[in-house]
Amino acid sequence: MDIGGLLKELLLEDKVLIHFDFMNGFFDINKSIVVTWGVIAVLTLVLLWLTSNMKVHNISNKQLVAEFIVDGLRGITGGMLGEEGYMYRDFMAVVLVFIGASNLVGLVGQVPATMDLNVTAGLALMSIVLVEAAGIHHKGFGKWLKSFSQPMAVVTPMNILELAIRPLSLCMRLFGNVIGATVIMELLKMAVPVIVPAAFSVYFDIFDGLIQAYVFVFLTSLYIKEAIE
Amino acid sequence: MDLTALGAAIAAFTGIGAGIGIGVATAKAVDAVARQPEADGKIMKLLLLGCALAEATAIYGFVVSIMILFAK
Repeated sequence: MDIGGLLKELLLEDKVLIHFDFMNGFFDINKSIVVTWGVIAVLTLVLLWLTSNMKVHNISNKQLVAEFIVDGLRGITGGMLGEEGYMYRDFMAVVLVFIGASNLVGLVGQVPATMDLNVTAGLALMSIVLVEAAGIHHKGFGKWLKSFSQPMAVVTPMNILELAIRPLSLCMRLFGNVIGATVIMELLKMAVPVIVPAAFSVYFDIFDGLIQAYVFVFLTSLYIKEAIE
Repeated sequence: MDLTALGAAIAAFTGIGAGIGIGVATAKAVDAVARQPEADGKIMKLLLLGCALAEATAIYGFVVSIMILFAK
């Protein structure tokens, strides 16, 4: 079995799908970006279908399902954010659904979009910008600056370092989990091509992906909660 | 002598930390459920989260070893 060759093919393949040439440079669109477009398109179509023809009285089963999903997601993220950060619950629900759907793309034979470090880095950057913006919005700029030297002046360097460590750990955790699951599944498919991969796929493709989406959103919510208190 | 494979193997030692962490977390969760069986759901949720966080160290090791082997 050629494990090295398989890993090389999986990890070092050319990620660029569409290549534009500009005057002196170039503009590449990666495969993962196209996959996220697909995820966004599917989610948008499902949402449009679920939210079309809504009524106040005498609601249809479809609307019931839509309301159940929205209530459930808001319950999850609202519970994590607490009373103060209530206004961010819809955003976190959207991130949860997007990351969850991106991780599940492996089920339909595509490479998960979150297996590209660029995608997870973008998501992590978005998170940290939201956290700091929430801090400034709720505390005011002066108090936000002052919060770096809380509770003691000694911890100021650590607090500043956390600005970089937090998005790095968010990004690496998601990327590593997805790439690890994909590599293990590929190795397993090579070793035992039938039946066994199906059982493991339930854990590595479905359960792990959803748990990681939950962890990402949970940690971001935790940071927001800490920033605005 | 090419020692890159050895470096990747050393990075895989992060698995020890994750293993101990998840083991301790699970032991405490079993303890907690034995004491308070009605808090089962909450404990399960926290356990899953703690395991995912503890697992992250092993994942960092994995990412580092992959980088050592393949990133040039």
